[in-house]
Parts: sequence; structure tokens; C-alpha cells
Amino acid sequence: MSRLASSPTIASVPAAVPGWAIPRTPGVDTAEAAFLAGAALNSLDHLVRAEHPWAGAWRQRLALTCAAAACRLAGRSEDEAALRDAWHLRKPDDDPGPAGNTLGAWRQLAARAPTLDVDRLAKVVEWLGLRWDEEFAEIPKALDALPHAGPAAPFEVVAMMRMLAETAPAAELLAWWLGDLVLARKLQWPRPVPLLMAQVFGPAFRAGGGRAKRIRPGDDAFAQALCLALAQGASDACRLASEISRQAERLQAVIPKLRAKGAGDAISRLLDDDAVPGTLVTKNLSRFATRRLFERLEAFEAVRELSGRPTFRLYGL
Amino acid sequence: MSETTQPKMRKEQGTLLDAELEHLPPELRWREWMGRVEAVIFAASEPVTRQTLARVVGKDCNLDLIIDDIRAELAGRPYELVSVAGGWQHRTRKGFADVIRAATGQMGTVQPLSSSETLVLTAISYFQPITRAELSSFFGKEISRDVIAALRAQHFIVSGPRAPQPGAPYTYVTTKTFLSAFGLETLRDLPDFEALEDAGLLSKEKLLKGEIPIGLMGQEDGGSALDVDEGMSAQP
Repeated sequence: MSRLASSPTIASVPAAVPGWAIPRTPGVDTAEAAFLAGAALNSLDHLVRAEHPWAGAWRQRLALTCAAAACRLAGRSEDEAALRDAWHLRKPDDDPGPAGNTLGAWRQLAARAPTLDVDRLAKVVEWLGLRWDEEFAEIPKALDALPHAGPAAPFEVVAMMRMLAETAPAAELLAWWLGDLVLARKLQWPRPVPLLMAQVFGPAFRAGGGRAKRIRPGDDAFAQALCLALAQGASDACRLASEISRQAERLQAVIPKLRAKGAGDAISRLLDDDAVPGTLVTKNLSRFATRRLFERLEAFEAVRELSGRPTFRLYGL
Repeated sequence: MSETTQPKMRKEQGTLLDAELEHLPPELRWREWMGRVEAVIFAASEPVTRQTLARVVGKDCNLDLIIDDIRAELAGRPYELVSVAGGWQHRTRKGFADVIRAATGQMGTVQPLSSSETLVLTAISYFQPITRAELSSFFGKEISRDVIAALRAQHFIVSGPRAPQPGAPYTYVTTKTFLSAFGLETLRDLPDFEALEDAGLLSKEKLLKGEIPIGLMGQEDGGSALDVDEGMSAQP
């Protein structure tokens, strides 16, 4: 029980993005969009730096949303549930298939520090199903050369994505992946927060209200659209954080009522990841113990069953 | 076999190798780099990645230009340097496949794929990850375990995640070997991939509901890119 007793207390509900910083009208100029982005990123910055114990689950859930949007952009039909299944219902070293690999790329983005070398980049390019381009080798160097002064973070992101759109127009997915990395680097976050990709089909990137055309990284209006997307993404992320923090609080509250010996392992997995398979086996938890534990947690409404199936259950906050 | 052992030794002593070759004039240096790259690719039994090649050439050397120059030199030869599965490999030209087969009989242990195996492999490559039951329901007949086993034996497919259905059947996904054997770099290079994607046909739900005209799949089966001969082209 020492593990349970020592687990950190969950802080109060994180701050949300103020209502006035959430973009409502699409037709704003760049200065106004940048103002909204700055305000929203400030709230997000507090959240990121607070390093809440449930931050892992939060990041991975954002990564899942981004990967689903990435699959849609790549023309695949997998939704979030399918991606979650592909990732969690496999043996640790098995290939999760092309869609699952896309999720892998975003999970890796959310889990690792925002540094990039050619090997990591090559792995990501492969996971995203893209073709390696000689120009990509320059990206880590360009990232290392990012000045600490220089343009503000959103415009640094725009510059990087534009650069990639010019040299390798087919690698749009990689541009979005890099966008979040550049942002984290500029804001000196310990780990990136997957935001941008999830907004790609949102109102921020729709040219002129409701029309079907999407603003791409090469377009003129991209800088302004990206700022709006950042504001929207930050506000979505903060909303998700408050949801997850509430769940985490409830989980924390029921910990004293749990009798399973290895409950601490399962709890830390739940706080660190988007979903935990109901068949989790650890050193202290047998398959049956896990099943009892999750059923008890579900009865306390401390975890949710995410897949909606009676079998192959996946639990998460 | 001095040609084949030499590059391997170089790889082992990577730190000792002078990759920059600064004592040489630019032209000679370029020739030496070309030689090194071709030797490494020649000696390898599988496609050689960019990272591997970068170890034997200088930092400011553009590998793509080196490869282009080597290709230009190989213009009249019966073999060529192809880029497959994220690397480069020497392959005999496609036109010589029949000749090689006639001379050596069966190509080593590799059996040509039967038409039904090709069809199943095509379906897996477009709709992965997919289970045997889903394949069977799509083709309207039982896809036997033997077909899957044959594809597995040639390392074209491996099992992916398990499907959340009764019995937890394994799904199948294609491998790098598959890409390499059919001369593809990524899955997006599959014939008509973009067209199918634009038509919204790359969806397993639609596939299983029978919304995909079978004629379309039939055409792809006979199509050039998944031609069995291509998979047979020999390596030196």
C-alpha cells in the first residue's frame, strides 16, 4: 500500500482558456488571431508546466485525436476507436498496421522531449507512410538553429510548415507533426502537446465560411488560420484537461477503497496512458485480479470503459 | 570475394574509416564515394538504408546525386540500382526475369504466387489490418489458412493487432519484404491508391458491406504493379 499512499495528490481543476480568447468569427486579421493564440497558449502553458499527475493520459488522449485527424487527412477511414484497438490489442512488438503506426508517431511525439535527430525523424517518416526525402535531413539542423529570440512561436511554426510544404508538398502529415514539436521547442515545454493536427478539418482552416476548401500550409492565409487553430486547440486541450482532472480526482478518492495488492500499477498506467487493456498483467496483478479491479473501479465510476464492448475492454479516465 | 568482404569490414571499423577523404581532389573523392556506396549496396542481401550509406561518405556528400551517377553508369547493364522499402538494392532488370528462370529453373526457394494468393495479398495490402474471416466474407468464399501460411512463409505478411471479435483472430499486415519484393517504397505507391482513396473506397466497412464492385479488385489483380514476375526479379 506504500505505493498508493505516496501517489501524489491531484491539484484543483486547471484553468480554462478565457471565453474571450476562443475564436468565434472566422474573418479576423492576423494581429487579432495572434492575440487570441497568445492568450490561449498562456492558459495552456500554465497547464503544461504544472505537470499534473494525469498529464500522461491527457497528452495521449490528445495524440489519439490528432492521429484520427491524420488518418482522415491521409484518406484512411479509421476513427479513434479503431486506432485505439489497433494499438492496444496487439502484442508489444507486433506491427499495428498503417493506421496504428500513424497513432504511434503521435504517441511518440507526446511522450518524448522535443528534440529531433535524423534517426527519430526517419522512424516517424516511415510510420506516417511517407517517402524519405533528402531535404528531411536538414530539418533537425533547422530545428536546432531555432533562435530563442526571433519571431513568436506561432510564426516559427508557420515558417517551418511553409518550408516543408515547399520542399515536400506530399509530406503534409509530417509538417503537422513537426508543427507541435516546433511549438513545444519555442515555448520550452518539457514535452510537446499534440494540438494542431486535430484542428485541420476545423473552422480555423476553412476558407471563407463553410466552403469546402481547406487552407494548406502553402496558402497566404495560413499564418492567420494557424493562430486561430492554436487558440481553438489550446481551448479544446484545456477543456479535455478539466474533464480528465475530474476523473483523476475521482480515481484518487477511491484508491483507499481498493483491496488489490497491485492496484498501484494499474492506477499509474491509467494516469499515464489514454487506455489500459482490461487484460493487463503485471508482477502483482494477475489477469483475474485486473478484471476484478477494473470492475470495481467501474462500479465506483472512477474509470470508463472506452470501447463500449462487453469483451476486449479498454479502460481509461 | 574481396569485393563482398571489404565493405563489411569497413562498416565494422566505422570509426577508423576516413569518410571525408579530404586529401583527395574533389573528382577523385566523388569517384571513391561512388565506389564505396555501390560496394556496400552490392554486398548487402537486403535494401541498404540511407543511414548505413551515410557512414561511408563525407558529411556534405549528397547521396541522391551519388546514386544518380551510379545509375547513369549502370545504364547499359542488365542490372540496376532500385530504391525499394526505404533503401537501395541491386536488381536485375525486369526483362531478364524469363531468362534467369529458364537458366536456373525455379528461382531458389521462392515459389511464384498463385493467382488466388496474389488476390488475397492485394486485398490485405489495401485493407490492412484485416482478418481471414473478413477476407473470406469479401471474396465470398473461404480463404484457407494455407493461402495465409504461404504468404506468411514468404514474409509478405505478418500478424498485426488482434481483432476485437469472438476468438480474437489475428489481423494481417504487410511487411517491408512485401514492399521490397514488389518494388514499392511506401504503401501509397500501390496502383490506383490515390484514386481509390478519393473515391472513398479504402474503407473496410464498405468492403465488408459489399459496396466495392468486385470487378475493380479483379482488375487490380491483373494489374502490372502486383505482377508476380516483378517479385521474382533476381538479386546479384
